[in-house]
Amino acid sequence: MCRTDQVPNEPSDRDQDAGATDAAFTSLLEDSAEELYEQAPCGYLSTLMDGTIAKINNTLLDWLGLPRQRVVGRMRFTDLLSVGGKLYHETHFAPMLRMNGEINGIALEIKAAGGSRLPVLVTSKVKTSSDGEPILIRTTVFDARDRRTYEAELLRRHREAEEARRQADADRARLQEALEVLQQSLLPATLPAVPGMEAASYYHTASPDLLGGDFYDLFPLDGTRWAFFLGDVCGKGPKAAAVTSLTRYTLRGAAMHDRDPVSVLRTLNAVLHERYNSGDARYCTSIFGFLEPDGDRTAVQLASGGHPSALIQRADGSADYLPTPGGMLIGILPDAQFTTARTVLSRGDTLLLYTDGLTEARIGPGRDLYGEDALRDFTRAQPPAGPQALVAALTTLLTGFGDGLDDDTALLALGIPATPPAAVGDPLA
Amino acid sequence: MDVRRRNNVRVTGRADGPVVLLAHGFGCDQNMWRLVLPALARDFRVVLFDYVGSGRSDPGAWSEERYSSLEGYARDVTEVCAELDLRDVVFVGHSVSAMVGVLAAARAPERFSALVMVAPSPCYIDEEGYRGGFSAEDIGELLESLESNYLGWSATMAPVIMGNGDRPELGEELTASFCATDPDMARVFARTTFLSDSRRELKTVAVPTLVLECAQDVIAPREVGAYVQAAIPGSRLVTLDATGHCPQLSAPQATAEAIVDFVGAAR
Amino acid sequence: MIPLKIHTRGAATGPVLEITGDLDHATAPALRQCLATVALTPGQCLVLDLSGLDFCDSSGITALLTARSLATAQGADMALAAVPANTTRILRITGLDRVFVLHPDTETATRPPDVPVTGDRPA
Repeated sequence: MCRTDQVPNEPSDRDQDAGATDAAFTSLLEDSAEELYEQAPCGYLSTLMDGTIAKINNTLLDWLGLPRQRVVGRMRFTDLLSVGGKLYHETHFAPMLRMNGEINGIALEIKAAGGSRLPVLVTSKVKTSSDGEPILIRTTVFDARDRRTYEAELLRRHREAEEARRQADADRARLQEALEVLQQSLLPATLPAVPGMEAASYYHTASPDLLGGDFYDLFPLDGTRWAFFLGDVCGKGPKAAAVTSLTRYTLRGAAMHDRDPVSVLRTLNAVLHERYNSGDARYCTSIFGFLEPDGDRTAVQLASGGHPSALIQRADGSADYLPTPGGMLIGILPDAQFTTARTVLSRGDTLLLYTDGLTEARIGPGRDLYGEDALRDFTRAQPPAGPQALVAALTTLLTGFGDGLDDDTALLALGIPATPPAAVGDPLA
Repeated sequence: MDVRRRNNVRVTGRADGPVVLLAHGFGCDQNMWRLVLPALARDFRVVLFDYVGSGRSDPGAWSEERYSSLEGYARDVTEVCAELDLRDVVFVGHSVSAMVGVLAAARAPERFSALVMVAPSPCYIDEEGYRGGFSAEDIGELLESLESNYLGWSATMAPVIMGNGDRPELGEELTASFCATDPDMARVFARTTFLSDSRRELKTVAVPTLVLECAQDVIAPREVGAYVQAAIPGSRLVTLDATGHCPQLSAPQATAEAIVDFVGAAR
Repeated sequence: MIPLKIHTRGAATGPVLEITGDLDHATAPALRQCLATVALTPGQCLVLDLSGLDFCDSSGITALLTARSLATAQGADMALAAVPANTTRILRITGLDRVFVLHPDTETATRPPDVPVTGDRPA
């Protein structure tokens, strides 16, 4: 409020002056209570409890484009509202007003002059009699057009953000699915049953993409011979996985034709070396071998290409490495050398292949490497109970490494059960 | 999934009384029954719940697919009944929930012994020979305003009930989220409700049915009450001297009395 | 995880890269980038001083192989000096101990080839 003219005052007559100013001001503006009500910048409305309009101000009548005599005593509050507003009034507004005695700032739309819908904000309060009975509802209606514009803009931006998020989620889900499918193609879904033998495997990838560089396989060649391999492509992630796939299928193919494990690895070497020259340098290490099961014994002939030696757990509880010194990693040199070894597995023996994710895991406060000696000692400490038991024990060991294990790890164990199967020719899975 | 938690199930009243299952309609949640509850709890074992997507149901259980059809809500009902192993249930459904009750009774007839429809409507849109109360344009306008009214809707969804000295019947345990619903879920419920047409389902009703309507109801006009009563063989129509769509709030005493009388007579 | 640090200096025989820290999947690219900037002339020897190397995995091995290829492509040699025990073990298992030239320390690695052990200089 600002004073529009100076009224001379005597210092000792302050109160009298204030009253005079008030009266002068009021008469100047012709501001009666009635006028304040009728010409308020917002709409005023009073209704009976059933919604019948008892009193309404000019402002609201102007917004509605309705004459007073059509409204007072004839229309209900809900008649002023759009369909959505009517509905909202019945299902939310009225119940909440009844429960609470008042309701503030509800966004509704009234049917305005000219047939359009005017967005408004509505506040209502129930007036109760002296005995607490609700007798009428006083409502204030504010023009909310500007606010609605603002809200519409916010809503638009919110929708855009939602859409972007949905898209991102969909993309992520698709990618995850694709990676899972790819990963499954790199490893055998289940190990086949080798007659008279038992096999077990374990695979864990440290890569968040689910694509690792470790690989293994076990498959029949003809009625009497089987082939196996386990290896490790250097690096991690999709590029390593691509080489893993190539490696696996090259070895499987070569195994069909070559009876010499060294020759099989040479084939792989040639394939990878050719790739090496064309840009992306990837090598792998691998052990590849043949099995010839024969009743109580299985002849094993294997070759190593730069891979950690296989470990053999014997039925008497001892465990030792099957040395293959001098084998070179595969794919780097055109004339890489590979070393063979042979052994025979008897009842209760288990041959263990592993990748260096196991032996290179960091353990203890000093983050020392677990190491090959520790692996051998661990295996010696296990009762010789076959491949599945050994892999289970190693799985527990690996899980115990926690975040000391940050590389891909694969295990493949092949063995002959200590006791013969119940039925003749019944392969134990 | 724990159905009790999922649907915010509450059981009150007489443990050995006949089972009355109160189902809210579009708009709020089980708190709508607050004012009739004391009268019903005196004689009945009252089961209250919120449909998934309303009230304090588990929002994680909501799926647009399931709750875009009244069958989805009917499944909430039959699952609540199965979870609590309710028998001889008197289903009291408000507004569209009355139709949900019809569908639930068709799904699991062995569980229900009677139906009470409070301000029901099987179809809201007028057509040749049928007055639902709204034109197709009206409903279109309604749904469109729901879409664009997002912020307005959500701003009005979470008023808090303060301790209210002049309303002692509201009792001590006032919930803090009366009518608080996720606006997206509310939108789906609204679409499902106002585009539904359950008129054909009415003839499957095979239990005693009470139709309670209000004398002046903008959402469900008198023609609708008459239609429902005529379509359900043997049903009774009671018109309450009340205005608005929620007699359980605007005329709780009359509503409770009508239900109590009906259950007594139906047994 | 100890970050990789590479310090380059010159010796009579050619550049010497002192590599400290972890050489693994994450840090190997840094070594490769550094190698790309090292200039070698034919007849020189690129020496990688691994005395400060804490950890080396297959990606690290690949980076060492890359160093060797780069040197060879420029007509130079490559040698590893002071290889830690763990890494020596990996080189042995993979057969790379017969591919890389290994020296016990940098002094030996950077000794000009035609200097006799006694220290007499050629004329």
